[in-house]
Amino acid sequence: MAELERELRRLPVDWPATPDLAARLELAPTHARRRRLAVAALVAAALVAAFAVPQSRSAILRFFHLGGVAVERVETLPAATERPLASGLGSPVDDAEAARVLGTGFLPRSHGTLYEQNGFVSTLLSTPEPALLSEFGSADMIKKLTATSAVEQVEVAPGVSGLWISGAPHAVFFPGASPRLAGNVLVWARDGVTYRLEGRGLDQPRALRVAREVLGTSSG
Amino acid sequence: VEGRPPDERELVRRARRGDERAFTELVRMHQEIAFRVAYLISGGEAEDAVQEALLKAWRALGRFRPGAPFRPWLLRIVANEARNRRRAAGRRSALALRAEREEVSGGAAPSPEAVALAGEERGRLLEALEALPDDARLALACRYLLDLSESDTAAALGVRRGTVKSRVSRALERLREAYG
Repeated sequence: MAELERELRRLPVDWPATPDLAARLELAPTHARRRRLAVAALVAAALVAAFAVPQSRSAILRFFHLGGVAVERVETLPAATERPLASGLGSPVDDAEAARVLGTGFLPRSHGTLYEQNGFVSTLLSTPEPALLSEFGSADMIKKLTATSAVEQVEVAPGVSGLWISGAPHAVFFPGASPRLAGNVLVWARDGVTYRLEGRGLDQPRALRVAREVLGTSSG
Repeated sequence: VEGRPPDERELVRRARRGDERAFTELVRMHQEIAFRVAYLISGGEAEDAVQEALLKAWRALGRFRPGAPFRPWLLRIVANEARNRRRAAGRRSALALRAEREEVSGGAAPSPEAVALAGEERGRLLEALEALPDDARLALACRYLLDLSESDTAAALGVRRGTVKSRVSRALERLREAYG
């Protein structure tokens, strides 16, 4: 047996050349870095808002930022299609894979099938109206453009603020996908993960209740 | 005077804080073994598998336990991605390796017959290895062709160290029977 092991070890194998993967890496900022960048982005946005002349703000009327979500209020929405909530969610993944993507476990711990696409882990909820919960832990930013939707800052849980976007549909840009129209959405972030809950039938109290259940801060 | 290159633990610490250069350096240290593990599992998908796995590793660094060895953690992610890709492609893993021509390194050159015979033996051993079932083949390839430790092999195969031991032992028996 030892001889066979030695022979295996001595086998000069003609491995394919290893590509220089390190040189090709294109990394998105991690949570820690993203937090620092987010602060920098907020400072920059504040400076722009403070010094911009009115004419230069005609395209982007207002800018909100929370976690990995940027919301811009614009005069007119770009062309965007309406698609079912369940479309383009990616491939099914198990809890371990979702945790690897997010850098932490998917919440709530008890959930239906998870899907992953470009760093976004999603699942469909019944609230009882259908809703889509997406979580992302990297700087895979999504951008929302809104013309007439209401954007409101809300408290999701103690120390966790969120943005509630409701009313007229807004356009949402996920990385690597064409823009689509989205219904009412609650966005919040905690511990480096951004959460996005979307559903046409969602109202604010129900969205907040679901968010608290997701975070495990619901008082029952 | 050039400073000493930062050790792995320091690079991991910096990478966890979002230092892209530190992570790139870690990748450079381990990319060959990562690529070869992925190649053993997924063949032609290896490059894509490693690239995707590296991005996942970068995103998951926050969950890496400080002080733990980096290589098995990375190999686990790489091997998992390679397995997913192999499954998606509906293929069995294949070594698809060839024995290299042995270089003559000084001393009396062996006769052409001896070189041919040695090459034939090596080819036969690789063929016997190739004919083993997936689990057995990968266990032996990780342990002996890549010279991975039992811990690293366990990480690459997604099993416990004890399973690696028993799998390698059984695989050697089978190979011995097949190779003669």
